[in-house]
Order: sequence, then C-alpha cells, then structure tokens
Amino acid sequence: MSDERQKPGPSGQTEADPAALLDRVARDRDKAALAELFAIFAPRIKSMMMKLGADAALAEDLAQETLLSVWRKAHLYVAGRGAVATWIFTIARNLRIDQLRRQSNKPYVDLESIEIESDARGAPSLLEESEIVDRVSRAIETLSPEQREVVRLSFVHELPHAEIAVRVGIPLGTVKSRLRLAYDRLRPMLEDLH
Amino acid sequence: MTIAFHPDISTLMAWSAGTLDEPFAVVVSTHMAMCEACRETARRTDLIGGALLKAETAEPMSDGALERLLEAADDERIDLPEPRGSDSVDPSVPQPLARYLPDGLDAVKWKFSGPGVATCELPTGTNANGRLMLLRVGAGKRVPEHGHGGQELTLILRGAYGDRFGRFAAGDLADHDEDVEHQPIAEPGEDCICLVAVDARLNFRSRVIRTLQPLFGF
Ligand SMILES: [Zn+2]
Ligand SMILES: [Zn+2]
Repeated sequence: MSDERQKPGPSGQTEADPAALLDRVARDRDKAALAELFAIFAPRIKSMMMKLGADAALAEDLAQETLLSVWRKAHLYVAGRGAVATWIFTIARNLRIDQLRRQSNKPYVDLESIEIESDARGAPSLLEESEIVDRVSRAIETLSPEQREVVRLSFVHELPHAEIAVRVGIPLGTVKSRLRLAYDRLRPMLEDLH
Repeated sequence: MTIAFHPDISTLMAWSAGTLDEPFAVVVSTHMAMCEACRETARRTDLIGGALLKAETAEPMSDGALERLLEAADDERIDLPEPRGSDSVDPSVPQPLARYLPDGLDAVKWKFSGPGVATCELPTGTNANGRLMLLRVGAGKRVPEHGHGGQELTLILRGAYGDRFGRFAAGDLADHDEDVEHQPIAEPGEDCICLVAVDARLNFRSRVIRTLQPLFGF
C-alpha cells in the first residue's frame, strides 16, 4: 500500500489505481494486485449482475469468472485504451452473454481480438483511471432525468429497449430517441477518452 | 471498404450494454468487424458501462471467494492463447459470423423463397427471440415490397442492392424499424447476399406473417 498513485476512495480508505494494479498483474503475475482488483470490482460486478436478474450465486460466479479472466487476459489490455473499469465491464458483459447463450454452445468471443489487432493506435489517453471514470460519471449527470433513466435501465439493468418501453410506459420509438439524445449529449465529453 | 450505412446509435448502445437479442447482436458484431467507425463508437458507449460499474454499490462476496479466486489463478499455469472462436474457411465471413457459418458462404444450403430469392436460417440459442437468416437475391432481381413486424437489421456480405434509402454494398448495414417499407433490388452482375436479423416475437406474429411471409416462410 505504498503506491503514490493511490487516491482516497469514497469511504475514505485508499483505493489503488486499477491501471497500476492491472499492470502489476500483467507484468509480475502479482496476486496481491489481483486481490486488490477483486476487492474493488467483484462486489460491484455482483451487484450489477443481481440487478439484471441473476440470483446471488450466479452473480457471484460471474464476478469470479470476470476476475479470473482479468488474471488470464491482463497482458491483452492495452494501456491507455481507457479506464480499466470499462475493460472489466466488457468482460463481465461478455461472460453474461456467453452464459445466456450457453445452450447454443457458441461462446461470445466478441471483438476483442479484432479490436486489439486493428485498433491499437491513436493517441493514448493521458488521463488516469479515476479521472476518466469521474468525467464519464459527470457527463451522465448532465443528462436530463428522462435520458438518464433510459441509459441506466439500458446499462445497469441491462433491459432490452422493448422492456424499457413497458417499464417506463413510453413507446419504443421514444426509448430510442431518448438514447440518441443522451448519446449526442455525452459524445463530446467522451470524445478524447477512447 | 467504404461503409456508408451503420447501425442506429441506440442499437449500438444496446450492443454495448449487452441487451441485444442474439441474432441482432451477431449482425451488429459482424458489421463491427468490418467497420472501424463503429468500433470507435462502441469504445465510447462502453465507457458509459464502465463508469456505471464503478458507481455500483458493493454487494459483499461470500466468505472464501477471494481464496477460491487465488486458487483458480494458481491453476492457470501458462498463459494459454485466447480461444479465437472457429475461423471460417471463407475469408469474406468475418469472425463473429464464422461461428454460425463455419463452412463459408459457398457451402450454404439455400432454400427457394420466391423468384430469384433464397434464404437459409442460421440456428441460434434457445434464449433468442428473433431469427438470424441469410438472404440471397439474384443479380438484378428484386425482393418483394415488404414492411417489418419489428426491427430488422440487414448487413450486406456480398454484392449490392438499392432501395429508396440508397445503395447498400458489402459492409453496409440497414437498421429498419417497424413502419419502414421498402423494395430492395440487387444490382446486376453478382448475387447479393445479406445477413438478416428479424424480430419474430409472438406478439408481432400476425404482422410478421403479413409482411415477411413471402420471404422467410413464417
Ligand atoms: Zn459502422
Ligand atoms: Zn426489409
């Protein structure tokens, strides 16, 4: 706990910079760093998975599988490609989709290999993890309450647009137009973050 | 490849959130494998998911969860290369589609669906609501005019077609809502082969029968 990049977390405790932790996992196969990433992300992934309808046991499995993937794939994470939280979000999302599709026996390999091969380019983001997350969070806060609601229902509750329409009581076309407006509003703020 | 038509941003946001039904997700992923602009956009929409994950409240993990993770990490002796999914024998089939079409486009068993039009349904998981199909329109032939019972995503894999929205060539994706009516006509010279996801949930069934029956034989 001596890394100078540590910042006070919301609870007043210091929370290490996930990018530095991930770097230690990739370079040194450092299990203490993996344990710290676990402490930061596993409970949040579990919470997100439960909100989208997984029971506690399945949500916990998905959180564990996500962290194990982080251990396996740490070397594939391209530093400067954005927040570690974003990368871990995409891993958790893909594992959940994979789990939903398991009957079809077609693992969701997503686009990660294609992306890494063809897009490891562009100016790396010079912002730190916490700054990226703060900026995106602040950007989301600037949305109108209606726009924020559809974005949250879409990402955190992972509801299909048709279900959002039913839950909020608006037509499907309105869900889509609110998402479009939300993105137009967020886009300039996400532009240089990658 | 110059791509002129992309998925609607609301469709890309759903892809990023992981809420797209399997057939639609396959079409979008296949387009993204061909389209750098949409990969760039998806990186931005993924940021939203990452920020929301970071803002999640913590749901405590059960006792011993960390120890089990570290044990599992111990068992991972070597960095095995990531499974790349099955690669298709056909270079014109991008990887996200290769899992559904391992033998390539030339091995597809087409089913006659009208003059100049053939289809082939691709199997998806039992959780899928919509259907994933290949559509082949003979060079210079037209698809019967139709509307859509729900959302329809059409990605051009080979050849090109034109309709009232413009010219769609390989890599272009048409993202149509219900209410859209059109009549695609394949360009002469080469058959046009498209990957199509259609919404075929039960509550749309009566409309689907009216609109897409000639094509997909619902
Ligand atoms: Zn595109
Ligand atoms: Zn159509």
